[in-house]
Amino acid sequence: MDCAVALTTQAANMPVSEEPLLDVRDFSLRRGQAVVLDGVSLALQPGETLGLIGESGAGKSTLALALIGLLRAPEVQLEGSLRFRGTELTRLKEADYRRLRGNKIGLIFQDATAALNPCFTVGQQIAEPLKRHLGLSKWDRRERAAELMHSVGIPEPRLRLDAYPHELSGGMQQRVMIAIALACNPELLLADEPTSALDVTIQAQIMELILDRVRELNSSAIFVLHDLALGAQVCDRIAVMYAGQIVEEGPSERVLAAPLHPYTRGLKSCVVELGSRTLVPIPGQVPPLDAMPAGCRFAPRCPKAKAICGEQRPRAEIRDGRQVACWFID
Amino acid sequence: MFQAASAKLAQTLLVLLIVSAASFAFLKLAPGDPVGIMLGSDYSKTSYDQLTHELGLDRPVVQQYGNWLADFVRGDWGTSYITNQDIFELAVMQALPVTLTLAALSLLIALVIGIPTGVMAALYRNSWADVLATTLAIGGNAFPSFYLGILLIWLFGVDLGWFPVLGFVAPWEDFWLGMWHLVLPAVTLGAWYVGLIARITRSSLLEVLGQPYILAARARGEPGWRVVWVHGMRNVLMPLVTVIGLQLGGMLRGAVMTEVVFALPGLGMMVTTAVLNREYIVVQAGIMLTGLLFVAVNLAVDQTYQFLDPRLRRR
Amino acid sequence: MSDALNITATPDSQWKRRFLQPLLRQRSAVAGLAIIVIYVVAAVFAPWLATHDPTAQDLMASLQGPSAAHWLGTDSYGQDLYSRLLYGAQLALIIGFASVALGLVVGVAIGLAAGLMGGRTEWVLMRIVDGLLAFPELILAMAFMAVLGLGTENLVYALALSFVGPFARMTRGDVLQVKNQPYIEAARLMGVPTAAIIWRHVLPNVVSPILVQAGMRVSIAILLESGLSFLGIGVVPPTPDWGLMIAEGRAFITMAPWISGVPGVALAILLVALNLLGDGLRDAFDPTTQKDA
Repeated sequence: MDCAVALTTQAANMPVSEEPLLDVRDFSLRRGQAVVLDGVSLALQPGETLGLIGESGAGKSTLALALIGLLRAPEVQLEGSLRFRGTELTRLKEADYRRLRGNKIGLIFQDATAALNPCFTVGQQIAEPLKRHLGLSKWDRRERAAELMHSVGIPEPRLRLDAYPHELSGGMQQRVMIAIALACNPELLLADEPTSALDVTIQAQIMELILDRVRELNSSAIFVLHDLALGAQVCDRIAVMYAGQIVEEGPSERVLAAPLHPYTRGLKSCVVELGSRTLVPIPGQVPPLDAMPAGCRFAPRCPKAKAICGEQRPRAEIRDGRQVACWFID
Repeated sequence: MFQAASAKLAQTLLVLLIVSAASFAFLKLAPGDPVGIMLGSDYSKTSYDQLTHELGLDRPVVQQYGNWLADFVRGDWGTSYITNQDIFELAVMQALPVTLTLAALSLLIALVIGIPTGVMAALYRNSWADVLATTLAIGGNAFPSFYLGILLIWLFGVDLGWFPVLGFVAPWEDFWLGMWHLVLPAVTLGAWYVGLIARITRSSLLEVLGQPYILAARARGEPGWRVVWVHGMRNVLMPLVTVIGLQLGGMLRGAVMTEVVFALPGLGMMVTTAVLNREYIVVQAGIMLTGLLFVAVNLAVDQTYQFLDPRLRRR
Repeated sequence: MSDALNITATPDSQWKRRFLQPLLRQRSAVAGLAIIVIYVVAAVFAPWLATHDPTAQDLMASLQGPSAAHWLGTDSYGQDLYSRLLYGAQLALIIGFASVALGLVVGVAIGLAAGLMGGRTEWVLMRIVDGLLAFPELILAMAFMAVLGLGTENLVYALALSFVGPFARMTRGDVLQVKNQPYIEAARLMGVPTAAIIWRHVLPNVVSPILVQAGMRVSIAILLESGLSFLGIGVVPPTPDWGLMIAEGRAFITMAPWISGVPGVALAILLVALNLLGDGLRDAFDPTTQKDA
């Protein structure tokens, strides 16, 4: 993993000739008056894993849903650009988008128990994208579904094909969810807090499984997480989100080792580490979406905020191989 | 598993026993003296006592109940004083099929209209479909079916002359003529159910469409129609069946009225006529039969529900 | 919103906040309530509003359409439909509310007895309730009418008896739920008499869902009342009853549609209004049923 980090760090420093797999530029998402995502920019190279880190309500899941095209007009208003393999997603027709979903872009939900339809067998649900996107015959679908279940570590897949979700444990359900998301070998996998609904004892297993599968398929992946340390551990790069904005983005090791943005620092000091003496919570709370400050959204809680922070939005600057949006980077 | 099934069976048997006891109690409570009625106006003390003994009316009530139940199970339900008809024949062979046909046809009409209306109302909230569904739900549910029947007879039967206004032709004897006679009654009775079905479909579908598994279905590229009609409606079936079952009392209420308005010789007509003629033995047969029907349908709904919801299925 | 801020803790405003405001938030329920108020006013002031004696026959003036003398026309006996309509409202509302009230009192009593006493008493009472619930209401009411005989008073009893089952079962369920609450146990341990516990702790907890249920039953009661009278097993002629009027007008539907139209439309509107109010009551006060989203 160290090696990959070094490589991607270089990639971020140098102008990229090859187009990234996913290129998000100045992307905003509004729901009525509320600006849920504000000027988000990030790029993901093929085979790269990115961790989207932030508190709940930071807009991480919203970004994931927007990427897979489940949050679109007229429900919400989109601005800016989302390019996937050179295709502009924001202007994509619904029928074409549908061909990407579950096919080139897969999504793993947080709570598999709720995300699996209780009235259909897991085999039926795994087979759906196989029919929809790959057009496999009924028999082939069953075969492939069993293979997929085997590949995500479900024992005796042939027996479990006809099981209903409630007959499986939470961990098994999440494995099914992973099998569905990976059914068509997606180029981009989105995982929305894939382990937070699970027992602590199997969280690591599931995380490891997803990473293994992603590497094997040579896919890119975006992990939505709230834990900075976990994100840094499993992802090549990390993007820290606060109130709908990316405040800091860069290679995992550097962001974790020497965070530049005050919010990232706050997040880091929230993490309890063995041997650390103090646990400093970030004071205050995320402002409501309809009452966001005009400038830096973190300003009201920031220990270093000056007058300009509340008035003008800081532009993302490249510093030490990462982008940071703050007026006072030391 | 076996325990649960046998507990269910025991419970059903107990309810059946209660139903039969209630039906038996009805005849005991009914005014008039059956012996006197059977003997007519002029009889002697000896013949009175003799008939009382023959009918077993001098024995303890519990024994009378046992005898009555045995006769009932054997299909010996007595004979009508007025028409001299065998009551089992009248109730089970003649009246029951009419009511069941009417109810089934009404339910079919209600489902065919109610489900699409409810789905449209859920998908396009505050649209014309939503307004229609709400109007149907409130209007259809509250509008008295006997007056609706009269209006339909007036408009489509008399004024336009499209449908026959009264009477019944058995569809199993002449299918099309029978159906033609049943259109107006079935619409009258179905109108009551349409609103209910549209309303439940609407609210259940709205709830289901908000579930994560619907989002997940879309996330794997399922097209919109499949998300609604397969992933969504499959989950709406369960509340729908429950409500249809729960409202069975309302259905039978409407069926009685409809049968009388359209002069259909069903159970409702039979009981109404019998009450008016004070022929309590026929009323009793009607009570017992509707009670059994009620128990049977509730059991069927319960089973359907278990079948529909995999989480309740025993493996 | 501004009203909500002005609320002080007087019992009166308590009542407003807990009962009136949730109800007023539902526009359709308010519309239903307004219609019902109109019917109640018509019913209460029927003797003053009526232009004729509702049962006075005038065969010379039979089957007349609306006119200055008979505002809504006359039926085949020459009875004034407008006056019959007003008295019919009176009858429908009296029978509807009286039968539900009676059924409620008996049902709640049975439910309380069963829930609080338990044991054999409960078993026997609940089997009787099972027996009542095993039949559709209309069949039950028809059976009771057959036993009791025709007439207005008997109709109220028959309807009330057919409503006992649901109220009893509901009350018992609520009582069983409340009975096991820690605060009831605490009150018992403190030596509060059983009657006081029922009155102070159990009843207030079961009263709200039961009243909602009662509100919804009134429309069923009126539907059953007019239905039974329509069938000829309810109120007896010439009592001004809507069901009877519809039955009578049925024969004249082509030549004098107003005879069944006047009571038919009046009944339909009242039932719609009662349903609207019932739904509103349920949404506002009954947390167990989910609102239509």
